[in-house]
Amino acid sequence: MDTIRILIENAVQRGQKTLSEYDSKKVLASFNIPVSKEYLTTTVEEAVQKAQEIGFPVVLKVCSHHIAHKTEGGLVEISLGSTDAVKKAFERLMGEISEPIDGILVQEMVEGKRELMLGLIRDPQFGPCVMAGFGGIMTEIINDTCFRMAPVNNIEAADMLEEFKSKKMLEHFRGQAPVDRKALCDAICAIGAIGLEYDTISEIDINPLIIRPDGKFAAVDALVVLKGENDDQDN
Amino acid sequence: MIKIINDSPLYPIANPENIAFFGASNNFFSMGSNILQSIVDFGFEGDIYPVHPKEETVQGFKAYKDVMDLPIVPDLAVFVLPTRLICDVMEACGKKGIRHAVVVTAGFREVGGEGIALEAKLKNIAKKYGIVFVGPNCLGVVNTYKKLNTTFLKMEGNPGFIGLASQSGSLVTQMFNYLAQHGVGFSTAFSIGNAAVIDLVDCLEYLGACPDTKVIAMYVESIDRGRQFVEAARRISLRKPIVAYYVGGSEIGKKATFSHTGSLAGPDKLYDGIFRQSGVIRAHSITDLFDYARALGGLPLPRGRRVAIQTHSGGPGAAAADTCGRLGLELPKFPDETIEALSEFVPHTGSINNPVDITYSKNQTDFFIGIPKVLLSSNVVDMLLMYYLVPDSMLQGMLVRFGISEEDAQNGNLDVLNDYAALMVNMLKQYNKPIAGFTFRNLKEQFPQALMANGIPVFTSPEQSVRALNALVTYTQLRQKIQLQQV
Repeated sequence: MDTIRILIENAVQRGQKTLSEYDSKKVLASFNIPVSKEYLTTTVEEAVQKAQEIGFPVVLKVCSHHIAHKTEGGLVEISLGSTDAVKKAFERLMGEISEPIDGILVQEMVEGKRELMLGLIRDPQFGPCVMAGFGGIMTEIINDTCFRMAPVNNIEAADMLEEFKSKKMLEHFRGQAPVDRKALCDAICAIGAIGLEYDTISEIDINPLIIRPDGKFAAVDALVVLKGENDDQDN
Repeated sequence: MIKIINDSPLYPIANPENIAFFGASNNFFSMGSNILQSIVDFGFEGDIYPVHPKEETVQGFKAYKDVMDLPIVPDLAVFVLPTRLICDVMEACGKKGIRHAVVVTAGFREVGGEGIALEAKLKNIAKKYGIVFVGPNCLGVVNTYKKLNTTFLKMEGNPGFIGLASQSGSLVTQMFNYLAQHGVGFSTAFSIGNAAVIDLVDCLEYLGACPDTKVIAMYVESIDRGRQFVEAARRISLRKPIVAYYVGGSEIGKKATFSHTGSLAGPDKLYDGIFRQSGVIRAHSITDLFDYARALGGLPLPRGRRVAIQTHSGGPGAAAADTCGRLGLELPKFPDETIEALSEFVPHTGSINNPVDITYSKNQTDFFIGIPKVLLSSNVVDMLLMYYLVPDSMLQGMLVRFGISEEDAQNGNLDVLNDYAALMVNMLKQYNKPIAGFTFRNLKEQFPQALMANGIPVFTSPEQSVRALNALVTYTQLRQKIQLQQV
């Protein structure tokens, strides 16, 4: 069994409802979906060293499968521009937590004004379905999403982007380059492929997926939801 | 997947040579008697064998006390019996060798409780004997080319090219008159009820293979075999347009989901994407469903999204132009040679821009033949939309001036009228570009009747007609997309 399958199976066996952000991104990266550069650290020294390696500014996030919505819980520190800032943030985050954690995630601060969302759901009738839409904190308000049944190929993914109401944001935008469409379509297809490959994954959220000024992009936050043992979804 | 229509399990149900009928009597108010009457009224040409425990004859047909007494094994059994009797009768039909049925009777899964178990029992009996059935809780089948109508309303209108698969019986039976008003009709229509055995996907396969069906319309509340639906629809929509009107259930909405994706996946959005992936045009009302079906079944496909609008009244033309803009259809600017050719027909008070507004038609032949010819021959025009106002009184006056007697003019159905319509259809064929009309007049008037009888759809508002043209464009695009994916 490949390492990703082992990672997922182990989490299911331990009764986890979700994968941590770090593990979720490992799953995505294994299907070549670009993810933010990041390291899982357990000591302040390690965090500082990794921050220097990535280059400032960085983001620190508490990493644990117990915590699905980190921002709401105040468990994220962004725009950390110095060694001192990283140290302080690390100490503060460690002081906030009551649940067991995997560590503190040190992450590149992905630049970009445009945020998308990609995801996977399992429908009782249609099975794994891929979603692409407007991302960021306004996702639910803008509610601009498109769905397709997996598998999705590049032509279908391109058609999803045509259906997208906010599609203009994929073109030149305030001095930033058009999104790398080919890569974005590949990422949409990959989400479908993950859904078909791993039955035990019930949902995926990538939000935000930030489009960099040069048109490339990265999954900045990600959540893989697992199908529980008692879950009677039959897909 | 079926290769030819005869392979469909629905074939004997939609094309029976003879029918055993359970539940008709000589009481004309019962549902069963009504349905038998519909079958008879439509002129079903095969033999009918009513089964009735007491009567010697039912509505003039020799009746049989028991299915075992029937002299032959009929192709199809129709059940309009009390719920409690259905399972026993299905069993008896199975023993007799009957392999196809329509179960009109309700009181099964749709009522919950014991109904669910009863439906399961009915399915098991059918399975034991290899019986394929439509229903329960349905109105069954209409095949206008086989003079078959198992619904309780008398068939109206002519056979047509619209195939329907519906999760509501009303959309079959209550549309006979509606479609006839619009000059179209069903080829075959299925009301699937609870879909215990035959479901939407089976109907889609059948209609896809049905040579009388040029367009498939669907009324959808939920799709059970989702993945098979997408596979079948993608294959069929390459050859034949499919239009679906979906009224959302809330399969996912009801479920608590953990992710944002889950909470954003209302079935409405999901079905939007699934239909588009399947090459299915989504309609958002019953009116649109049949408007789109009329356009898609009757007109050639446009090469692009450019519409020429021709009108003799400002407002309706502007409204059509406005709707085009909202839907992303283009109104091309005409090249010089088109403008020159048009100027011959358009008075100085009119407009040679798009919409072409001639303000007043001094000569009907110009309006219906001369101008359309110029517009259709222009290489910037993919579709032609015409607004017209030809009240019967105006038409009759015109005909009288042509030398036709007043009496003949009033009776309509005249050669000159059909000549116009035929000339327009010839243009449609010659240029292979869609033409649609709209009017606010009653469609029962002579002129729209003549157009529709010759295959040119006439709509009752600018918005409807433009939406229907847009459905042609959408279908063309979706089909191209699926074709690309086949490579």
